[in-house]
Amino acid sequence: MIRRLLYAIPTLLGISVIVFMLTRLSPGDPVRLFTFGSVTITEDDIRQLRAFYGLDQPLPVQYVNWMLGVLRGDFGMSLQYHKPALGLLLERLPATLQLALAALLLQLLIGVPLGVYAALKRGSWVDNAIRLFGVVGHAVPTFWIGLLAIILFAVTLRVLPSQGLLTVGKDQSDIIDRLRHIILPAFVLALAGIANYSRYLRTETLDVIAQDFVRTAHAKGLRNRTVVFTHALRNALIPMVTALGGLLAVLVSGSLIVEQIFTWPGAGQFTYAAARVKDYPVIMAGVMLGSTLLVVSYLIRDVLYAVVDPRIKAR
Amino acid sequence: MKSTRAMRMFVSVLGAASLVATACAPSTTAPGATPAQAETPVAGGRVIEGTASDAQRLNPATSNDNVSSLVSGKIYDSLVNVDPKTGDPIPWLGKWTVSSDGLTYSWTIEAKANWSDGKPIIADDFLTRVKSQLRSKVTPNKSTFNDVVGAQDYQAGKATSVSGIKIDPADPKKFSVTFTKVFCPALLSVFGSAPLPTHIFGKYTVDSDVTKNLDDAPEINAPPVASGPFKFKEWRKGDQIILSRNDTYFLGAPLLDEYVLKVVADSTVGAAQLKTGELTVYSIQPGDVADLSKQDSLKVYRWQNPGYTYIGWRQQSPTATFLNDKRVRQALAYGINMKDVLQAVYFGEGTQVFSHHAPVSWAAATGLNPYAYDKAKAESLLKDAGYAKGADGFFAKDGKTLGFTIVTNQGNKTRETFLQAAAEQYKQLGVKINPKLEAFEALVPKLTGGSPEIESVIIGWQIGAEADAYTLWHSSAIPTPEKGGNNFVFFKNARVDQLLDIGRGPDCSKDARKKAYQEFNQILNEEQPYNFGISNNVLLATAANIRGIDPGSFSPTGEWNIHKWWIKK
Repeated sequence: MIRRLLYAIPTLLGISVIVFMLTRLSPGDPVRLFTFGSVTITEDDIRQLRAFYGLDQPLPVQYVNWMLGVLRGDFGMSLQYHKPALGLLLERLPATLQLALAALLLQLLIGVPLGVYAALKRGSWVDNAIRLFGVVGHAVPTFWIGLLAIILFAVTLRVLPSQGLLTVGKDQSDIIDRLRHIILPAFVLALAGIANYSRYLRTETLDVIAQDFVRTAHAKGLRNRTVVFTHALRNALIPMVTALGGLLAVLVSGSLIVEQIFTWPGAGQFTYAAARVKDYPVIMAGVMLGSTLLVVSYLIRDVLYAVVDPRIKAR
Repeated sequence: MKSTRAMRMFVSVLGAASLVATACAPSTTAPGATPAQAETPVAGGRVIEGTASDAQRLNPATSNDNVSSLVSGKIYDSLVNVDPKTGDPIPWLGKWTVSSDGLTYSWTIEAKANWSDGKPIIADDFLTRVKSQLRSKVTPNKSTFNDVVGAQDYQAGKATSVSGIKIDPADPKKFSVTFTKVFCPALLSVFGSAPLPTHIFGKYTVDSDVTKNLDDAPEINAPPVASGPFKFKEWRKGDQIILSRNDTYFLGAPLLDEYVLKVVADSTVGAAQLKTGELTVYSIQPGDVADLSKQDSLKVYRWQNPGYTYIGWRQQSPTATFLNDKRVRQALAYGINMKDVLQAVYFGEGTQVFSHHAPVSWAAATGLNPYAYDKAKAESLLKDAGYAKGADGFFAKDGKTLGFTIVTNQGNKTRETFLQAAAEQYKQLGVKINPKLEAFEALVPKLTGGSPEIESVIIGWQIGAEADAYTLWHSSAIPTPEKGGNNFVFFKNARVDQLLDIGRGPDCSKDARKKAYQEFNQILNEEQPYNFGISNNVLLATAANIRGIDPGSFSPTGEWNIHKWWIKK
């Protein structure tokens, strides 16, 4: 376990070096972008701004300075906002987590029953429909489904708002309004997961149903419902627990696109916007935050594996 | 999500950014617009405007981006404004006189002009703006006040006051500013800089200590007082910024209760939100006009804009040397049917431009060559330049096909279509175009850094009321490896240099400047350093019940008179 934790450190270091170099080496200059359109700016001013943000240093020096800052919890100042990058990002993180958790709930609440139901009605038209949905839901691009959902529910039917966290003029604590806003993005974000879960659960349930202990349960005269829920489902769900670990990271990264479409003011949208204007400190903080979440969630998954299945030892 | 962002990508070069929200000129409104005079304005309600991205810093001294200016321009008013009809400077928070040598401006701030907490707006507040901006480490507008006597010494910490700014000891609302040289655009760029409340921001800049500045002041993003029509209320980061009515506004309290700026991902979504009423003001794309005009709940305003989207031909390109030949550039002007481009790319929402100052500008020249589409003339010009058409249909000279790359910024649908149309039309003419897309953030440094890679480019200039075009066309603005510049087509003409100097002074009279700029425009029209392309209409869709909107060419947002907007119940 400790060894696994130690592995995480070089992984994160490696990611930081690669992302740092990629952002710096890709063409573009944040100071020129930021000052573009200023009537009176001189070359000297641009040099001073570059020096102020430490961008005039050689790349390795910039990296070391950045790393030293990170060790002190300082990811640098955002060039756009002139505020600490990490703080800005953490300000946006709750919105992302809200969306991710809502999507996770939807995936479980919809995906699991769909899969089990399909397995129990194997071969029926319902099963076929769910399987078709499983393939389509996984294959269609999120941005396309997102726009369709906006056009259908927000524009044509006008039942749900299409953008943002809150209706203009509503108070932050208006729970109903917040819920109405989260429905569309959460569903769109959850869609691929729902599709995956339903396929996964269908396969697992079919496996379990075919096993001896289920036949035994039937043979000893238990009601069908008891067999399915207490015996079959419980066993089919075990592998699911482990899948949850990696899910948080997937949701957080997947929310980048969804946040963009629905103008959901989360960390993903924020990092994306920063990438467009080469706001280096924010890009770095955003990527490192996402990577850390990913690494941590894989650690959790490994631990859960060992808990659920004692044959696998976390080493 | 890309096309709205692309709209912002117009480069704003001329015209003070702080004036963006307050300038205006004549306009054409949508057919069927009802005259507002028949109705009695009532107070109440809010407008919700859509924007492609969030604001960055709500302080004009430290920010430069359009969205921040859109908000801070409603909170902080300037001493001078721009006439909506003519683009001329007009008194706003203050009135001015100029000394006979043109070096000293004397100002008197309106007696009834107060901050929203009741404190008077005084000369000190303008000085606070100047000092804050001079000492800021992060401002993109470090050099705005360079020509004010003593400003550079104050900036460097060599002086503890700006000696060129003198406040009348007898009247705190009176002051004078002396310049080191006459610089006609200064009226808008220097005095268009909105005063900042000294009692809020004064403490952050310390005269005797250059390391102290307002860059980290918490009041930057939550301004406690306002001089403009609206006060800051709340900023929900990444989602919306809410401003509320300033009842003490010197031109009278606005009729609207609130102004809300809301972030919208994309122009498609923005158009949808107009229909649902989630937005009530939004700048739309030409392609959305037909659909949105059909909605009874909406009204589309359109007006000409002094900026333009052009194809820049790089003279002195190491690879496309032929672009140095005026005949080739003129052939490229005759060889493209811009009327078709206007229809196909802009859905007819725009006007053709034949030189730097678009027809709406006071500095525009008349009698310019429109280079009406004439394929035969284009071919004969190319033949004059030594080219002959080969069997493949392309012109060639010395065995080399006449061809080059046109680049534009990726994600801007309008420009991408423009590029396709141009490439297709030039192919018909016999010129081989290699169309190339590049991310804006990568393209800009290449242009302003003078990268030899650039042969020609489709991009745009956003232009304000000030006619000064020095930073685009003067030979000193040609980029070199040491210093960047906006004259990235490498245009060099001694007479144009002279004319641009005349336009900057010492005679700042409109007649003198107009004469110089007209000749300047005639030379550009003849030389064709750009195909000046098209000035697109600004298209502002609003809820039909918003009254009092009176947009114009020198108000890019159409909101110069937002204090008079009202909502019909």
